[in-house]
Amino acid sequence: MINRITKNVSGIRIGVHVCRGNWSKQEDVLLSGDYAKLLPALERMKIDQFVLEYATPRAGDIKVVGRALSGSELGLGVVNPRTDSVESVEYIVGKAEQALEYYQPNQLFLNTDCGFGCFASRSVNVEDVAFKKLCSIVEAAGRLRKRYT
Amino acid sequence: MDQTFLTTQVGSWPRSKTMLKALRGFQKGTVSKKDYLAVAEDEIRRTVELQEKAGLDILVDGEHRRESFYAFVTDKVAGTQLMSLADMLDYVEDKAEFEEMLRTMDMPASAIKNPTCIGKLSRREPLALEDFRFLRSVTKKPVKITLPGPYLLTRSMWVSALTRKAYRNHKKMADDIVKILREELIQLRDAGCNFVQFDEPVLTELIMSEECDRRTFM
Repeated sequence: MINRITKNVSGIRIGVHVCRGNWSKQEDVLLSGDYAKLLPALERMKIDQFVLEYATPRAGDIKVVGRALSGSELGLGVVNPRTDSVESVEYIVGKAEQALEYYQPNQLFLNTDCGFGCFASRSVNVEDVAFKKLCSIVEAAGRLRKRYT
Repeated sequence: MDQTFLTTQVGSWPRSKTMLKALRGFQKGTVSKKDYLAVAEDEIRRTVELQEKAGLDILVDGEHRRESFYAFVTDKVAGTQLMSLADMLDYVEDKAEFEEMLRTMDMPASAIKNPTCIGKLSRREPLALEDFRFLRSVTKKPVKITLPGPYLLTRSMWVSALTRKAYRNHKKMADDIVKILREELIQLRDAGCNFVQFDEPVLTELIMSEECDRRTFM
């Protein structure tokens, strides 16, 4: 279906975001598993970027996607939008460095795992925490740029 | 701009109490569309300022104008009706199982609203073109527009008891969803948008929820 939508449409970066649910702060009720079973579907998609969650252990190992999809950009999820604690810059840099085994720095985008408030009356986080998480991502990107470009 | 390790976020921003009040008022008919959109625009401006302050490279609008990242299509697409998961209980085939799903997965039945297909689907107005234009007007930074993906929409919009009147099967309905999203993508591109993200939380569920009957409508 994605390819029918994007066929011959150029001049715009097209990403697809896949996650495992974002309706509850209880991690154990959200879905779990790596991307291996999804690869046949993802590999067929003619798009520019996969936006994937990786800040939760439920997402599995980066190598599953890294081996198969490194021809595209990766929007690497580095912070969990549902938790109250802010991920450290070191943690985010570490996640990105794992992805660098498969991706070039210009293919790698750093983002949140998902949105912060998908359902109107059930935001999974508060603004103050969300802001701090963004600051952590930006600081990590700065460090990575110094180190790798 | 430094083109490595670009930073962005995936879409929605926490809604403020003011925003939620305006949304509920608008849905009940006690707040005018103009007033509701004015509140949303203030929220978008604030969300943009915060992202700029954080130093993010590619900004989003926080989806303040949307009921949720996919249910908002009921405002824009003919043949749809916004229903809470609680409303849908009357129409699902296996009620006990549906209730069990909501409970075990900690899904708030009244908070999650579904864009149910009740007729022939067509774009009444663009889904996100106005979002793009407004976001473009409040920041000079690159922006990203999010759209619900086709699998997500096909899966959530189909409620047999209501959808069968308009479409024989999922595939027929999916053809119209593809058409709607393709028109939107091209219109956004032509308006100068250079990054669109389709949201497909559903893909993992199709594969990872072992019992395939377990439908979350996402």
